[in-house]
Amino acid sequence: MKLKLALLLPLIAGITGLASAREVPQVDLESYEPWDPQIVETFENLLMQESGRVKPVYSYSRFTLLQFSGKTSLSFGTKDGVTHKLHYSEWMLDVLFRGDVAKSLPVFVVDDSAAIVQIGVSPKAKRDRYSYSEIVEGRSKLAELSAQYAEKQRKYLDSEKDRQYELGRIEGMILTLGRNISAFEYLVGQFSFARKGELLVNENILPQEMVQLAATLDPVEMMDRMPEMSMQQLMQAIQQPDNGSEDARMFTSALRLFFFYANSARGLNLIPPQEADNEVWLSASDAMLTGLESKEARPWAIEQLKGVQALVQASTQDTETFNAALIEFSDNQRAQAEARGEGKHASLEVQLYRGKYFTNALVMFILGFIIMAISWFSPGSKFGRIMLLIAGIFAAIGLILDIYGITLRSIIRDRPPITNLYDTVIFITGTAVLLGLLIEYFTRLGVGTLIAIVSGMLGMFLSIKYEAKEATDTITQLVAVLDTNFWLATHVTIINIGYAAGLVSALIGMLYLGGRFILNLAGNDAKDFFKLLTRMNYGVVCFCLFFSLVGTVLGGIWANYSWGRFWGWDPKENGALMICLWTLVMLHGRMAGWIRDLGIHMNGIMLGIIVTFSWWGVNNLEVGLHSYGFTEGVMPALYKSWGIMGIFILMGIWLFIDERGKKAAKKAEREAKKVETQPDPA
Amino acid sequence: MAQEETAKTNGGPLKAFYKFFTSFKLATIVLILMTIVTLFGTLAQVEKGLFAAKEIYFHSIWIVDKVGNFPVFLPGGGLLMVILFINMSLGAIVKVRKRWKGAGMLISHIGMLMLFAGAFVTWGLGTDGYMALYPGMKSDRVESYRKWQLEVMPLNEDATANEVWILPSDELSSIGYGEQRSYTTDELPFEITVSDYAPNAMPTPISAPVAASAEAREIDGFKLLPQQKAKEAAANIPGCYVDFKPKSAEGEEIGAILSAYSFRFDPGEKPMPFVFEYDGQKYGALLAKKSWHVPFEVQLDEFIFDRHPGISMARNYESRVTRLETDKEEKPLEIKMNEPMRYAGYTFFQESFGPAGSQPGDRMYSQFAVANNPADQWPLWSLVVTTIGLGIHFVIMLVDFIVRSRKQRTQAAS
Repeated sequence: MKLKLALLLPLIAGITGLASAREVPQVDLESYEPWDPQIVETFENLLMQESGRVKPVYSYSRFTLLQFSGKTSLSFGTKDGVTHKLHYSEWMLDVLFRGDVAKSLPVFVVDDSAAIVQIGVSPKAKRDRYSYSEIVEGRSKLAELSAQYAEKQRKYLDSEKDRQYELGRIEGMILTLGRNISAFEYLVGQFSFARKGELLVNENILPQEMVQLAATLDPVEMMDRMPEMSMQQLMQAIQQPDNGSEDARMFTSALRLFFFYANSARGLNLIPPQEADNEVWLSASDAMLTGLESKEARPWAIEQLKGVQALVQASTQDTETFNAALIEFSDNQRAQAEARGEGKHASLEVQLYRGKYFTNALVMFILGFIIMAISWFSPGSKFGRIMLLIAGIFAAIGLILDIYGITLRSIIRDRPPITNLYDTVIFITGTAVLLGLLIEYFTRLGVGTLIAIVSGMLGMFLSIKYEAKEATDTITQLVAVLDTNFWLATHVTIINIGYAAGLVSALIGMLYLGGRFILNLAGNDAKDFFKLLTRMNYGVVCFCLFFSLVGTVLGGIWANYSWGRFWGWDPKENGALMICLWTLVMLHGRMAGWIRDLGIHMNGIMLGIIVTFSWWGVNNLEVGLHSYGFTEGVMPALYKSWGIMGIFILMGIWLFIDERGKKAAKKAEREAKKVETQPDPA
Repeated sequence: MAQEETAKTNGGPLKAFYKFFTSFKLATIVLILMTIVTLFGTLAQVEKGLFAAKEIYFHSIWIVDKVGNFPVFLPGGGLLMVILFINMSLGAIVKVRKRWKGAGMLISHIGMLMLFAGAFVTWGLGTDGYMALYPGMKSDRVESYRKWQLEVMPLNEDATANEVWILPSDELSSIGYGEQRSYTTDELPFEITVSDYAPNAMPTPISAPVAASAEAREIDGFKLLPQQKAKEAAANIPGCYVDFKPKSAEGEEIGAILSAYSFRFDPGEKPMPFVFEYDGQKYGALLAKKSWHVPFEVQLDEFIFDRHPGISMARNYESRVTRLETDKEEKPLEIKMNEPMRYAGYTFFQESFGPAGSQPGDRMYSQFAVANNPADQWPLWSLVVTTIGLGIHFVIMLVDFIVRSRKQRTQAAS
């Protein structure tokens, strides 16, 4: 026992050691001054509107860094030999208030250095992260190629996916990089209007005289003295050729600079609108243009812009001053949002991401798995049983964390647990873990705990990978047809419980076939155990049928209310139907005598393949009315999972052939004995 | 499904038929085939679109098709569903041994049969179409999404028509490209010859290289060129040649290319028929969508369209309408997503809106899907029955499983 532990511990240490031995990239900064925690906390609780909802800057920072970098934190070393690890909120503070620092941080992930070579920048490793300063030398080439590939992508979509317009892998990377760099420039240049000439990005596109003008011109004060102008009039004015007079030339330059500032300040909607019936929050750009367009709205716009200016100016001073300015800005913003009934769950959202419930649940499941593995060194002993119990407790804690996270998400958006594909992952994982623990409660064999832990690990890992792949806010607004809590709570929830049961059936099947395959090779025979697994799987299949069938018919009834027909053979509907059909095949095949123990498990795995096809595969087809669930790029992972499940089905086939061979041999032996015992007629 | 197959084979062909159609084996095979057909029917939608794939795979007796390069030869979804219906009716309802333990299964199968029956009724008797209205407009006319008919009409001075001769959509669509058929009627003084009907076609000027080289009849500098069918069947724009040959010896034969492009795409537009004159009377000819009337009018009073703040995603769209019916009080109503209007056997669903690319503040029309389905609510009743049945059955099974597991554990412990 001790020997086995001694083998296991170095292995775990080795794995963790490998993870920590990764090289930290060095950046071109002498040193890095971390943000004061108080500032970070105030900043991340600021509100903004993005993707149709009011949310904390915390969430926005998280998904922006994830989109650029594929990670939610950032590590780097400075020239003074210190290694730093930034949280996404700290990084966003750098981007908005210390642009020069942000430009040196390696955040732009490029999966293949061939993309970097194409834009004329020196490549690093095959997959690496680059800073804006490193990319900027290839900026014009990047802009050119991005525009070209964006046009190609548009043609691809317009032509109903004509292959000749499909983007290649490297082209796709360049397009993504181009978009990320552009988004970064907008963020860094967001508060240029408040910086008096410190333009930070794109200064090279301005003529020298405008750069000089920027050092003295305050666009907010300028707006106060301007006549009313619409956006169209502003555009006409800046496009007019100079007529020679110095004043006119200065005026046009000032207008151009105003337009430049307004254009740079788009996208970050931090300002609640003035009118109570207007739902759209404003960026500094919107405030500038609103103030320019209407003298009536101008005092309000100036007040908002001066608030941002005060914040930016305070950021260059000491910590206390900046924090005080942030608090003032935040209090003002919250008071307005509160009066409008918005942002009421923002603090809860910060808690959701800060709590890392799903990551922590994964940790619990992994720990549970390790403890369970330890229990296998002494199965059936008191020690083994205690380890099993502890593993079960870890699985239960993981489940509680998952449920807590799901509950927070439901409260934040005032919706049932599932509204998008990401939600299905964490919900199905929770359901599968719960099913595993229930099986354990009834059987006490350790199998249920193992199913719970494996489901938990796979599901949580998938949720993290999917979030990173999509790199967009997972708390999304709903399309009109989904705006119904009744159907979301019934059809969507029930059908996903059915999915979870189908996957648990596949796991039991793999456990059965894998176990029997290994024991068969070892000449062992644990008939009772395997019989119980079969009964267990049969029960899970019945459970799957119940929820899939009820969920599918409920979906049809919903479709009859929203789309005018019960059934339309839409891919998503067909996926659900296939799950129902295959469970019925299993149950009827069993009654027909065609499916016995091995068959139940092999078909259980087949059911798992069908569930994954229905869950992910049909979304990848991008056909039909369930367009809100479409996704792309999941097929390679899906093929891998089907490959793994296929291997287990092959094991089942091998076992079937072996079983038949043994039966035939026994029969032949019996008949031979019969012949021997019969008296010789002669 | 029957609990045990005890029928003897020595009962003649009727009994053999009965045994075959009540067997679990048949049920299993049909269910496997249904799964495979559903899979291929789903994958085929990527290339063929929903409507075509549905017809080939699910509304068919046999399937002969290709998905990618993979040949598919299977019994059609329609045939499989009929076999399954017979199998379920005979095996699970008639033959099954009636006992308390099997009550749940019996009930759930009755529920599923109700669902199937509903599907057959919908397939046979249901109709679907749409009605699109701008605010202020009213109509009782429902148009088909995909079916087109030929309309020929004598025109009044104001270009309206009192009577219309119609070549029905099924007849029209059966005339293939390269074929022609002639029709006469007492109401019209000429014979109508329709040829080269193509479900998706483009009248193309012969100055275009593709038309210049195409082997097609030319009329007034245009040729009708067939196009590949769109994935979405409703997006097809059919076309055909039509010749009007006077019944009397006098008068000239007139030929025309008719294209569905002349039909309106927006409820605010008017169709533009091909107009010709014969014996001093003007006539119009048009490819128009098949249409029918509902026994009441619907007037759109207001269309409300909301987007989520700051993004283009639609949050809500709903229509405030008034239902108008002779000798009945006007009824103001709201039709919105998930809340249709059901009346007189018809159901009006908030389906979409237009014109495409409309911005907030633009004048927009509202489009309703209009369905007439006698089995509209059958799935709901079927669900209730099936759920009760399955619920009873699985609770019995779960109790059985728990009791057995406990017994096994107790035995193992002792």
